[in-house]
Amino acid sequence: MDRRGFLKFAAGGTVGLVASPIIWNTLYDAVYWTQNWGWIPRLKKGASEYLPTVSKLCPSGTGFLVRTVAGTPVRTIGDGNNPVTHGAMTALAAAEAELRVSPARLKTPLRRSSDGAYVAITWSEAEMLLKEKLAAAGSLVAAVSGDPTSSINEVLSSMLNQLGSSDFYFMPDEEMPAAAAWEAMGGQGRLGYDIEHSDCILAAGAPVLESWGVVAANRSAFNRTHPVAGEASQKLIYAGAVQNNTAAGADLWLPVRPGTEMTLLLGVANLLIKAGKAGFAAGLQNFASFVSAYTPEKVSGITGVPAARLEEAAKALASAKKPLVIAGSALGSGGSAGPVMAAVAVNMLLGSVNREGGLVDLPFPVSVVSHATEYRETIRKRFVDYTQSVAAGRTKAPAFLLIHAANPLYSLPADSGMKETLDKAGFSVAVASFMSETCEACDLVLPAALGMEAFDDVQTPYGSGRVTYALARPVAKPFADARSAGELYIALAQELKLDTGVKDMPELLYKHAFALGAPFRSMMEEGRVHPASTSLPASPLFYNWEAIRAAASAKAAEGDLQVAPVVVLGMGTAQTAIPPFATKVVTDYQLKGKLSVVQLNGATAAKLKVQSGDHIRLVAGNNVEITAVVAVFEGILPDTVSLVAGLGHTAFDEFSRGKGANVLALTSVSREPGTGLPVWGLAGVKAVKA
Amino acid sequence: MSSEVKEFKIRWGMVIDIDKCTGCGACMVACQAENNVAPAVDGSNKLRSLNWLTVFRLSNHKPFPDHEVAYLPRPCMQCGKPSCVSVCPVIATDKREEGGIVSQIPPRCIGCRYCMASCPYHARYFNWYDPKWPGDLAQALTPDVSTRMRGVVEKCSFCHHRFMKAQEAAVAKGQDPMNLPDGAYITACTEACPNGAITFGDLNNPTHKVHELIKSPYAFRLLERLGTDPQVYYISKREWVRREGDNYLEHEKTGEATKQG
Repeated sequence: MDRRGFLKFAAGGTVGLVASPIIWNTLYDAVYWTQNWGWIPRLKKGASEYLPTVSKLCPSGTGFLVRTVAGTPVRTIGDGNNPVTHGAMTALAAAEAELRVSPARLKTPLRRSSDGAYVAITWSEAEMLLKEKLAAAGSLVAAVSGDPTSSINEVLSSMLNQLGSSDFYFMPDEEMPAAAAWEAMGGQGRLGYDIEHSDCILAAGAPVLESWGVVAANRSAFNRTHPVAGEASQKLIYAGAVQNNTAAGADLWLPVRPGTEMTLLLGVANLLIKAGKAGFAAGLQNFASFVSAYTPEKVSGITGVPAARLEEAAKALASAKKPLVIAGSALGSGGSAGPVMAAVAVNMLLGSVNREGGLVDLPFPVSVVSHATEYRETIRKRFVDYTQSVAAGRTKAPAFLLIHAANPLYSLPADSGMKETLDKAGFSVAVASFMSETCEACDLVLPAALGMEAFDDVQTPYGSGRVTYALARPVAKPFADARSAGELYIALAQELKLDTGVKDMPELLYKHAFALGAPFRSMMEEGRVHPASTSLPASPLFYNWEAIRAAASAKAAEGDLQVAPVVVLGMGTAQTAIPPFATKVVTDYQLKGKLSVVQLNGATAAKLKVQSGDHIRLVAGNNVEITAVVAVFEGILPDTVSLVAGLGHTAFDEFSRGKGANVLALTSVSREPGTGLPVWGLAGVKAVKA
Repeated sequence: MSSEVKEFKIRWGMVIDIDKCTGCGACMVACQAENNVAPAVDGSNKLRSLNWLTVFRLSNHKPFPDHEVAYLPRPCMQCGKPSCVSVCPVIATDKREEGGIVSQIPPRCIGCRYCMASCPYHARYFNWYDPKWPGDLAQALTPDVSTRMRGVVEKCSFCHHRFMKAQEAAVAKGQDPMNLPDGAYITACTEACPNGAITFGDLNNPTHKVHELIKSPYAFRLLERLGTDPQVYYISKREWVRREGDNYLEHEKTGEATKQG
């Protein structure tokens, strides 16, 4: 290159550089990367307080301290002074301060306009509308509650009773089949479980360390009976189709095919009788001869549990001082009564009824609101019978349908008739804290305050071994325009000139505390929780072998593959969906991008000619089809696929919406022989490589 | 740059009993909330999501029905000989303060990510994007831990702000801030674990539970033969779990390195 060429190149290069965005971009980047970041949130300073209360979002009523900074909740921390949960937390309760301000939180009353869109309205407009629609509905009113532990239910049932309707229901839960089973076996009170004092627990289908019963209390008991690096004072045997979180804490895992837990328990009963464990009660002989057909080999063939492990479990129960057998469902709703009957019978054989560390007879919560339906009556009523009847036109559709703290459109099977009932209802109202699928289908949506923002209570949740009473106290202002649902209903009853006998929530809670002899003042001021010392005369239990035989005749699920759902509280509940701060708890063997992950073992994968990472289509008997990503995992039975529940939301916020598939879509409602209970049949699925 | 090993009077450490952990994730949620780690829309994407504490599922690699599962929570190991500290060109991370916690100063970090490459535990995370708290979520930020910006590395600090608070509380009570009683300072994950799987304390202090627990024949540390001297110990009575903690040859036994450490 000559001198002229060099100068031309240098001049051209300089002009080019100046004309290009390089310099400006570099300058911009230098400024950008060296500044303080104005758009990164600044921290709020202020006085910290730690206020004890209980969670109303976590089904176990976890006791926590809400840490507030200048009055705003920022953390929830386990309350070590809580006599029920002893400071144990769940992933859901730990995320509650953030859930309070999550994008899905309802801020203001919304009314559906004629074009289908929601418009914000004021509370006084909402109250006027409620009053007008309720007055016009006459006795064609129905309500369902997804929070069985709250005394707000009494206000609702009282209103309905006075309006001439008996259609107040609880959402299907774990207790309904258990209550039916306990009653069938002669139980007169409420079925309770003294998990804390047992030295050997067989949990058949009940994920006691993740989602069954009072989980935080169960975990706290697990903690105390399993010292770090020491010898455990309690043995835990878990029977389930998948090695889930409960199996991880169990000493022995019994891999049982979904829906065959009852057979397993009858096999255990047979082995125990042979080992001389035969707690006497009426019907023992018939029961013994009925279960004698359930030999280890037969049970192993039906359930998939290796006979040796079945015998090991029976031996552990027989040699324990305080054994306890618990039956439940993986999903937590739509379970059968049969396994619970069998579990009660096994406990009877072991002499584990009404003694420390066994099954206990608890008194039912008593209503204090005038004209309210008693808890023990409500728990017997079946919401799905009602919705299916409305859908089929056998029952008149409600002119006014109220859905309190529940998301039935998401949490019930597609053929439950819920959608049709909502479509047919004259006017539907959802009182909820988050914008759920059900809210999106209602005519009026009212934002409810959370447990930490309003007065509410937790009366002995199902799974507890004693009567407990806790108050949820307002430790923070309600978010945006949310209001206490309890106060709303009481005010509405007063407007309609209905007699509830209470003027506000504190009075209602006081009456409950008084009935239990609980120290209301210290509960209110210091957030104390009251464990009541109540005892009932032992129920005249008997081996209702006929009921057991009827329940045991339920058909096995059809299809190539069985579906084993897994519930984890990190996925939230149907009312909360996935809490924003729990999305990272969701694993890559539960969800991958927008697709659910299906877990199956190597043998099943080889049979289906798939491997980890492949896409697979699961087709259920009800023709619902979902596409999922395969993950090979050996902790699962052959010919069984596992999907996590809690995905497949179409509402809520970006943290939950459009992620994976709802495992409930694969289920359909069937009736349990004998009890007639509506159960979610996890019909088998066919799998095709996608 | 401190590649030399410093001796500390206090060494905060953690003992995690894997046999007690059931993988519920309450520790992960508590950690995020306590330390103002922004939520992720798709948290199942483990390459992109940022966790100071992650719970891993372990397998004994046996086919059904002999398969066993366990869960392993992994915070920063607060190594005694941290490989991240010696590679940081700007001393954004250091192990100097009494207590033996490996510090991380995000505003000083230049985002070179050498520390991430050198950490054998993958305990360090890079902010690829600005953290976001959509809607009103920022209202729930705690006042204790500054939010970080994109372009910097962050990691578990053993909730260091709680250490400072515990020291302040001790001074206010006229006690020795360098001799905190057992339980006066614990991390958010320790507090949140419903199963009591995590025990936290001063490894050097004989009055603290962890001091004894680390002597258990079942105690081990992750990849301890690398010589990083982690201050996080694990306990499992199951041999296969202990073997997952390092790369063992078939004839090798577990436990040798812990005894030496």
